[in-house]
Amino acid sequence: MGFDFSETEEQKLLVKNVKEWCQRNLTAERVREMDDKGHPYPKDIVEGLGRLGAIMGTVPQEHGGLGLDWKTQCLIAEVIGYYDPTIATAAGFMAVETGWGFTINRYCSETVREKYIKPAIRGEKFVGIATTEPVGGSDVAGHKTTAKKEGDEWVLNGEKTFISGTEECKLWGGGYWVNARTGPLIPEAPHRNMTAFFVPIDADGVEVVEPYRDAGRMAISTGGFVLKNVRIPDEYRLGEVGKGFYYTMEGFDNARIMIAASCVGVIKRILDEAIPYIKERKVFGWPLAKYEAIQFEVAEIYMEMEALRLMTLKAAWMQDIRYQEEGMPVKVSEAKTFKPTEIAKWISMAKWKGPSLALQAAEKAMIWLGAAGYTKEYLFEAAWRGVMSYVVGAEGGLNIQKIVVVRELLGREFMPYK
Amino acid sequence: MPTIIVCLKYAVDVTQIKVELATRKLIITSVPRKISDFDKNALEEAVKIKEKFGGEVIALTLTTEDASSALREALAIGADKAFLIKDPLLKDGDAFITASILAKAIKKINKFDLIICGEASIDSYSAQVGPRLGEILGLPVISYVRKLSLENNVVVAERGLEDCSETVRAQLPVLITVTKEINVPRVPTLMDVIKASKKQIVTWSLSDLGVPAEEVRAAIEVLDVSAPRVERKKVKLEGENAKEVAEKVVKALIQEGLLKL
Repeated sequence: MGFDFSETEEQKLLVKNVKEWCQRNLTAERVREMDDKGHPYPKDIVEGLGRLGAIMGTVPQEHGGLGLDWKTQCLIAEVIGYYDPTIATAAGFMAVETGWGFTINRYCSETVREKYIKPAIRGEKFVGIATTEPVGGSDVAGHKTTAKKEGDEWVLNGEKTFISGTEECKLWGGGYWVNARTGPLIPEAPHRNMTAFFVPIDADGVEVVEPYRDAGRMAISTGGFVLKNVRIPDEYRLGEVGKGFYYTMEGFDNARIMIAASCVGVIKRILDEAIPYIKERKVFGWPLAKYEAIQFEVAEIYMEMEALRLMTLKAAWMQDIRYQEEGMPVKVSEAKTFKPTEIAKWISMAKWKGPSLALQAAEKAMIWLGAAGYTKEYLFEAAWRGVMSYVVGAEGGLNIQKIVVVRELLGREFMPYK
Repeated sequence: MPTIIVCLKYAVDVTQIKVELATRKLIITSVPRKISDFDKNALEEAVKIKEKFGGEVIALTLTTEDASSALREALAIGADKAFLIKDPLLKDGDAFITASILAKAIKKINKFDLIICGEASIDSYSAQVGPRLGEILGLPVISYVRKLSLENNVVVAERGLEDCSETVRAQLPVLITVTKEINVPRVPTLMDVIKASKKQIVTWSLSDLGVPAEEVRAAIEVLDVSAPRVERKKVKLEGENAKEVAEKVVKALIQEGLLKL
């Protein structure tokens, strides 16, 4: 009795409206133009997404969101990935803003919520995550940025790099979640004494550096900033002192599930574009679609995509149970709780599979279409360049996801690090 | 503050109809349904009037099946209340029966200043239901409206006719049918969708409207519905150069009556 894969009437209508909005605003021509032109992300589109309600839908209604459950937000992210398979929109506003923005909102003060979260939900400002440092990204406990308390303020020093949306944040206003060490490094437990802060991009001492020249997801910038004696009021601290590492792990879960869901959409789009072509295009007298070498690959990609979708929606269901206990308006069929590491395992499996499979699907489609697939007439190459960012590292690279999975299977004591 | 009733057809999505190649019969079983396109324009216009003058928008539909998803969409677009007339007896209805039953429902609702319909439905495209409904209710009918304004209980409507336009005025209450040029229907926000789930849909059967079964027998018998056969002419135009071929194309188009010089 516990299984039900049907969508509610409300979910169907929400998805239908997001699709209709995307059909009008994220057309193939517009997405191509965005990819060619590069960042900053077009403000009219983000404001449209904000008016529609697609950004941070999981934030409670009393905080300016829609109070959606994660399953529904995943369905929305699928549509966004479908219509912008370069993944710039999904990266900027599903993974970063919806995943991390939701998490910031859980731990921020009313001041931060009013000044930054609510405008970001409306598509006016940008909020994001700045974990990666020159020493690395996924080794959160090893980060070097520090914060010292002086009166009612914190003074932050450090450097953040490979940060999504720095140019947009600078242009539109907004800020970033920044972790900093607020106590001594404990060698056997380096994750302790990390505290999370919300740092406005225009705070004195924040120096935004030139953005990188990325290979893909061109419409959203990737840059970095230096923090030089940046003074942050205590009300810009996120949650409790010393809990930043744990909040960050939660934020990663929320961002990673958005990426997995977006990749379902990307893969579906790739198949929808490639299948009519292979049915039409004749080689040696037969349509390409009659050759088993191609048929079997289409079947494999489709099967894997459906597996990814089930995995992602199961992870979303686990998320909903996690947050239901904290008063989020979600309906689940049974009261059951999961360990955070168990939820993280499922989300990491989906985040591991999603970008890798999308990459593979884009590559296969280019090969099926031959020279045509290699041109910019199709979005396959842009999807390939875009999803690669999530294979190599954004929100934790491929191998990080494997670590999360195997750590849950074998136990933390078998990890080669603390 | 006007009360506006919008009649919506839960129409077959014609873009998804398939044709059986041998018989040219339409395959419409399991084809999804949706709010007919022109009716969405009607609803958008009603909501725009409400946003300007206040009042209430009531969506009304007539169907044999569960059209609550379409009505929920209408409520998200901005209707305040929806009425669903649902009865299996309606499967054999024609434009006259549809208009008659809509009229009975509207009389039962017993409150309106303006009725807006689409110019026709996307599937059967008879363009009769709106004018017939106006006739039954004894209302002035303004059809094919592509621009509408309302001032002091008077509607000013621009009608798009085949080779001209016509601007007419009428005192409320009035029935109008609209063309797709009148507006671009909005995409409701996701919050609108969530709020729509709390709005009311009233379902009536024919017996709730006091309509006996014998009154829903169609006067029109549909003998056959099939897709037209379109044969390609397979004419190949050749020439020494592009100019010569272009001239032949122009000549052929003139001969076919597709081009006038």
